[in-house]
Amino acid sequence: MSELERLTERLTAALPPDAVLTDPVRLRTYECDGLTHHRATPGVVVLPETAEQVAAVVRLCGEHGVPFVARGSGTGLSGGALPRTDGVLIVTSRMRRILEIDIPNRRAVVEPGVTNLAITEAVRDRGYYYAPDPSSQQVCSIGGNVAENSGGAHCLKYGFTVNHVLSAEIVTPDGEIVELSAQDPGYDLLGAFIGSEGTLGIATKITVRLSRAPEVVTTLLAAFTGIEAGGRAVSAIIAAGVVPAAIEMMDALAIEAAEAAVHCRYPAGAGAVLVVELDGPHAEVEHQFAAVERICRDNGAFEIRVAASAEERAAIWKGRKSAFAAVGRISPAYIVQDGVVPRTALPRVLAGIDLLQEEYGIRVANVFHAGDGNLHPLVLFDDSVPGEAERAEAVSGRILDLCVEHGGSITGEHGVGVDKARYMPRMFTEDDLDTMQLVRCAFDPRGLANPGKVFPTPRLCGEVPGVRRGAHPLVEAGLAEQF
Amino acid sequence: MAARDVGDALEAAGVAVRAAGDGDEVAGVRPRWVALPESAEEIAAVMRVCAAHDLAAVATGGGTKLHWGAPPDRCDVLVDLCCMNRPPEHAAGDLVVRAQAGVTVEALARALAEGGQELALDVPVPGTTVGGLLATGIAGPRRFRHGTARDLLIGVTVVLADGTIAKSGGKVVKNVAGYDLGKLFTGSYGTLGIIADATFRLHPLPAARAWVTATVERPVTETYGTWTNEDGLTFETLTTDLAGSLATMVPAVTESPLEPSAVEMDWPDAEGPCTVAVLVEGAAAAERAKALCALIGGALSDAQVTEEPPPWWGRLPEPPAPDGPPGPLGAGTGAGDGDGGEILLEVRNVPSRLAGSFVGPLTAAREAGVHAAVRGSLASHVFHVALPPDTEPRRVAAFTGGLRAHMETDGDGRVVVLAAPQEAARRLDRWGHVGALPLMRRVKERFDPDRRLSPGRFLGGI
Amino acid sequence: MDPELIKDCVHCGFCLPTCPTYVLWGEEMDSPRGRIHLMGQHVEGTPLTDAMAGHFDACLGCMACVTACPSGVRYDRLIEQTRAVVEREHVRRPDERAIRALVFALFPYRRRLRAMRLPMRLSRRLQPFLEQVHPSLGAMAELAPDAPRPVRLPPLVRARRRRRARVGLLTGCVQGEFFPQVNAATARVLALEGCDVVIPPRQGCCGALSLHSGREAEARRFARRTIAVFERAGVDAVVVNAAGCGSSMKDYAEVLADEPGWAARARALRTRDLAEFLIELGPVAGRHPLPVTIAYHDACHLAHAQGVRAQPRELLRAIPGLELREIGESAVCCGSAGTYNLFQPEAARQLGDRKAERVLAAGADLLVSANPGCTMQIAASVRRAGKGEIRVAHTAEVLDASLRGLGSV
Repeated sequence: MSELERLTERLTAALPPDAVLTDPVRLRTYECDGLTHHRATPGVVVLPETAEQVAAVVRLCGEHGVPFVARGSGTGLSGGALPRTDGVLIVTSRMRRILEIDIPNRRAVVEPGVTNLAITEAVRDRGYYYAPDPSSQQVCSIGGNVAENSGGAHCLKYGFTVNHVLSAEIVTPDGEIVELSAQDPGYDLLGAFIGSEGTLGIATKITVRLSRAPEVVTTLLAAFTGIEAGGRAVSAIIAAGVVPAAIEMMDALAIEAAEAAVHCRYPAGAGAVLVVELDGPHAEVEHQFAAVERICRDNGAFEIRVAASAEERAAIWKGRKSAFAAVGRISPAYIVQDGVVPRTALPRVLAGIDLLQEEYGIRVANVFHAGDGNLHPLVLFDDSVPGEAERAEAVSGRILDLCVEHGGSITGEHGVGVDKARYMPRMFTEDDLDTMQLVRCAFDPRGLANPGKVFPTPRLCGEVPGVRRGAHPLVEAGLAEQF
Repeated sequence: MAARDVGDALEAAGVAVRAAGDGDEVAGVRPRWVALPESAEEIAAVMRVCAAHDLAAVATGGGTKLHWGAPPDRCDVLVDLCCMNRPPEHAAGDLVVRAQAGVTVEALARALAEGGQELALDVPVPGTTVGGLLATGIAGPRRFRHGTARDLLIGVTVVLADGTIAKSGGKVVKNVAGYDLGKLFTGSYGTLGIIADATFRLHPLPAARAWVTATVERPVTETYGTWTNEDGLTFETLTTDLAGSLATMVPAVTESPLEPSAVEMDWPDAEGPCTVAVLVEGAAAAERAKALCALIGGALSDAQVTEEPPPWWGRLPEPPAPDGPPGPLGAGTGAGDGDGGEILLEVRNVPSRLAGSFVGPLTAAREAGVHAAVRGSLASHVFHVALPPDTEPRRVAAFTGGLRAHMETDGDGRVVVLAAPQEAARRLDRWGHVGALPLMRRVKERFDPDRRLSPGRFLGGI
Repeated sequence: MDPELIKDCVHCGFCLPTCPTYVLWGEEMDSPRGRIHLMGQHVEGTPLTDAMAGHFDACLGCMACVTACPSGVRYDRLIEQTRAVVEREHVRRPDERAIRALVFALFPYRRRLRAMRLPMRLSRRLQPFLEQVHPSLGAMAELAPDAPRPVRLPPLVRARRRRRARVGLLTGCVQGEFFPQVNAATARVLALEGCDVVIPPRQGCCGALSLHSGREAEARRFARRTIAVFERAGVDAVVVNAAGCGSSMKDYAEVLADEPGWAARARALRTRDLAEFLIELGPVAGRHPLPVTIAYHDACHLAHAQGVRAQPRELLRAIPGLELREIGESAVCCGSAGTYNLFQPEAARQLGDRKAERVLAAGADLLVSANPGCTMQIAASVRRAGKGEIRVAHTAEVLDASLRGLGSV
């Protein structure tokens, strides 16, 4: 009997009857998250309903030395929830109660499986909302948002998950339930935990900040002949001292895809569209809107539309928010890339991407959060054409190189996961990574929480930095992959 | 290890060193050397010497908060970062700036203002450096709108106890690659490593600013009554509560769609009146301030719009004059046996317990027989409380205990003693109970296993 | 199961929160994304296991996922193909087989349904006993509405003003037997709006139940017959007031894709939901005030399968004095889903309870829906919650009351 089988027996005894999945057909449906080209069938899947059950699972994993991976809605785009064939997948999709809505204190307490949008829907009537809005907000879970420090179109003005979580109850990798609070003195462990991609533990209860809905929201769609003109408009808006709630840009190919999917009816002939959203007090938005409209026109916008109603606003956003999945309509397969560059480097990086398209004969659709320089190039390919997938993969990697060369980041919001662990050394030195590893070792000295993610070849805790000889013990144990 | 050897080793590492003097004390502990590194590499060199000779080090910037926190268990080298003050690298088009740890926030603000931008933090202690700001995590009025240092920090370079130079984050606003060490170091009181430089996201300077101010004569209402027990004995009772004007005005302002950037109060003596001031920023600031003034005017009749902040805006409270009457703790003037140091507490609260933010300090001050000055944010519910420097240690302890009893009843409030003379601090718990302390200890053990960085300065003796 | 259709799924998960079984159980295998993954496993050679078949059977076929999918995955086609495979390859338990045989021998046949009216009414009293025998029988007994007075519709109802169209009316099996007043109201509304309404007396089942349960041959037989009947009627459009029937009739061309002649005839048949048709036609009849608060329930086969969401609301809002309220989680199925509440009574009941809670929260006088199955299901759930009888009506009945100036529904 393997260690995993012994563990499974104990899990079955410790959890409710239908909370442990072992049927191979069922297990396989959990083989990947939103990033489908990394697949691994989990050894066993558990569906706990309480923090105590999560803690029990994690403790048992510790006793048997079996790794575990947490998963929410499985929408991540970096393979952060890629299961371990030799491990336990802890799925929080049954932990989806909104435990408390506390309007006077502007906060809500939720379980990790609650979807991002469900929080907003629960408080909208009372004039509040939950600010981070990843494009997948209707399905992605708050637990997943915490793991990835998710952003969204509006993080330009309002920040990320980490700026909107007040406290979290977590199960540490040794199975203890600990409360991390921004209110407490001491190290900002909450800040370190958010965005740690499941490598420091599992959040089981999250208190989020609710934001007051702005008095006015104005959404403007400006069509340009090309992305250069759109990019100039973005720079001019920022230079004018306006901080919009969001500035999003899509190029012609991305527009084509969105049109095919959701009939968003963006202006015909647009080489790029800019979605600019302004929000705040009426008087402020009026000022800013006049400036933004003038700047767009000065920079060559040939059509400007302003949403007159909530429905029209939704229609403008629909094209943008469905862009990723919509690309499926114009290409058999594609890679969603996520990189960041300083905003002023955008034109140079976009030109670089154009060159890559020519060099590799691969099409790239560009969707990006132009306000903060977060690019989402969609690298299109046909997996039935031999060699095309590899070329697309190469283009995708070269785009990240471009981002790093221009002082940017290999990921702005999708996370490192399993997909980009090998790119981490391009951005960070070995010392940087070893220092981050110190945090990991403090939380998870045995490396059982989501091993193989974020860091390439993690050092064992306690191991002295320096030259390594022979195979790394984690690699030998099959717990890590050498890049 | 002879003193000369260490000095030589530091000098050999190319770092300017001098012998420590009286002014170099860290919360009363005098180091032996002061090192003056000019780069992250030089800090690393200092730390390697410390590692080689088992020396403990404390980092300092402007030295404005060196007396905060507990005294270090030991302190051999003071790492003075005043020379780490190259002009900030301001990328205005990207709305970011990178600054060395020794740059003062005032110098940084001047540099940024030239480009029409600002770091949207109101650091309440003049002379604070970027490093000191991060190490203490201190923030001011606009934390309500923009958050605190942790929310605006996007990249950091740190030097660890063994001399390792590590960075995390970067110079882009949006970045989730790797752990965010910046957050971990923010507010860590120098116990994990020494911050060498930091990169922040910036905001455009608002086109205009306006304040609305108003006075509340008696923030706390007191109602006298009587109560008779089952034996027929009658007692006099006193019920204290928040003034109705404040109770309605504060949520009306903070939740207003007019979006104030900050709502502050200044209450120089808990027995006296309190001033409320609201900041509005933006092109239409004047118009919005007028609307807010009307809103506030409904509750407080002397509300007025001003173009300048009140003099106390964005500063820590000044301690009240120590002329209070003897309190219930018995004889004594309340002054005389303290050691003259700053006594400063930070109170965090939640909006629904606004009354506690006023009744708590007032009641605790009366019970302990001290005078307390309170100032802080009615929007973010973070307040600072200052006591006269000469307040008797046992009264400081009694006040702290009383305040905790009021604020920490249901787990939402927090009271931290930021600064207190050693004599007083021995009688109280500076930090209060923190559930995640064991995890914090484990982090410290990993980063600084030999306890060479500001040992004992932080909570739980970290 | 067409591998090309399976490949269209990019695994984004946007379907998860709209899927009723995922909402209930929070398991990947009981979500559209998970079921498509299971289909993929089967196509790659994994045999159809009991577990797999169970997850396919658990799908309500509500098509909410089709609405939610940004990649345009044809889950509707996929699940129909899959159900056919399940029917062919999967051996069900004997009791499941018996129940299925009973349902398919009964529901698509009006005369048999008519014969069952009295026994079904009696059965409500026997519900606890039937529940013990088999949960599906219990569900049937619980759902059965009171048998109404039979309404006999004439073969032709003339337009009551200048004729603008000649339409056929599908009367439907369950609608016709248990809610004949809805058909009568539909005919009156159409006539008042200037339509000659042809009601072929010999029309049978449209085949919806069979189609949605993977009984392909039976579905094709019903489809061919229905096409032929309405061709003979010589109408501009076939108006359908039952959402499930309308959605399957709109799929006839795909159902009959292997029979090119029939597929072409299917395409020529203009099938319209009543609300869709009335909006296209435009109103001419005057609306009289109707002071009533209405909670409108989106039938899945109308909202998701046919994309008809705005039209019924527009029609209702146009009635003076009427207040329209939305029901929470409106995109999530009530659990009726054709035969689902008979074959998966437990899940259907849970979904019904969830829906009933939200319907009651809307606090309306009247629940309006365009599908007899939904109405029966929600009414039964409200009853089970101990909240008595909720007043229900079809969109057609509300319009009828307004057009005729009845003052109440």
